[in-house]
Amino acid sequence: MNSKSVLSHSSNVVTRKTGNEYVLVPVTDNIADMDSVFTLNETGAFIWEQIDGTREISEIIGLLIAEFDTDRQTAETDLMDFIRNMGSLLIIKQD
Amino acid sequence: MKSYSLDIAGYNIAIQSAEDGPDLVPAPRFASSICPATASDLLISVHEGHFPLPISATRVFHAPLVEELDGIRSTMDDNFWSVFRSGEDLFIETSLPFSDEGNRTLLKFSLNNLQWDLWIESGSATVDPLEYPLDSLILYYLTTINGDIMIHASGVNHSGKGYIFSGISGTGKSTMAKIWGMSGSRVIHDDRLVIKNISGKYTMFNTPVYENDSPRKSEVNRIFLIGHGQKNRLEPVQGARAVSLVLANCIQHNWNREIIARLVGAVSMMCSSLPVAKLDFKPDREIIDLVLYYE
Repeated sequence: MNSKSVLSHSSNVVTRKTGNEYVLVPVTDNIADMDSVFTLNETGAFIWEQIDGTREISEIIGLLIAEFDTDRQTAETDLMDFIRNMGSLLIIKQD
Repeated sequence: MKSYSLDIAGYNIAIQSAEDGPDLVPAPRFASSICPATASDLLISVHEGHFPLPISATRVFHAPLVEELDGIRSTMDDNFWSVFRSGEDLFIETSLPFSDEGNRTLLKFSLNNLQWDLWIESGSATVDPLEYPLDSLILYYLTTINGDIMIHASGVNHSGKGYIFSGISGTGKSTMAKIWGMSGSRVIHDDRLVIKNISGKYTMFNTPVYENDSPRKSEVNRIFLIGHGQKNRLEPVQGARAVSLVLANCIQHNWNREIIARLVGAVSMMCSSLPVAKLDFKPDREIIDLVLYYE
């Protein structure tokens, strides 16, 4: 994975936005795992919404910097933490 | 009798014996739920005998028979009941573990049609069409179709306020119901509730589990996610975290994305309307004071 990698959502998830947050329910072999439900805070929800199957990682970092008025290192760390935690619900297309 | 209607969790469920079908003898726990036949929310036609699953039916979900004794859960049967799908039609095949004959039954139903058929292989002229687990399964899919919530929880009404205490087995649901009941609160149920959004107000209903379980309901004002603790402790939870915690206690089969999405949506809306809190408690009356303090 590098800055040119493209992220997309796995189809194996049911999502629900609640306020500025998200509830993500993983679905494996068509069975939902309600004991492994993910929740996303405002930053995580923003990242999730920027993942559209076309944007490169570098673009999402740029959007994070603009949205939260933060520095590049913090934005990169936030995105890498997100990818590490949410890896099972993401598809990463390598450059 | 050949037909009767039940008021369960506010649903009017009409049950009728099909032509040449068996006499219907509901268990005593349903006696107080029998109601006049009005416009029914669900009609179940009961047949005696074997109905073969379509060849095209595929199994989408199955559940083991689990028994719990002194807090230890044991799987008694890996294939207690199963859900099959064939096109738009759904089927539940189950045994009846508490029936003397251990009858096999098949329920043919649909998420889009509220006229269902039930076949019971009993060899008897009389059957109870809602013997466990049929009652729970039918009620579960009825709540799902209506966008309602079935949850592991006890519920009480204290001075006009409704409190739900939700948790999985062993977290203290029935203990909590007993503490509030002994203090004069009206106990809606001590183990399982159906929650409905009725014109913007959330209402909890009991379901017939025990003998003479008459229909009871209450508005819901607060939801507590309970657990045993060394001391009483209340922690409000909000947003997505509240939704995820409540979801984990909902009764769910989870094999269909549409069903999952409906449940997540219903719980999300409920958690945005009602206060939710985690509540660790010691089993004594002090917990009532803590809850009422936050009220």
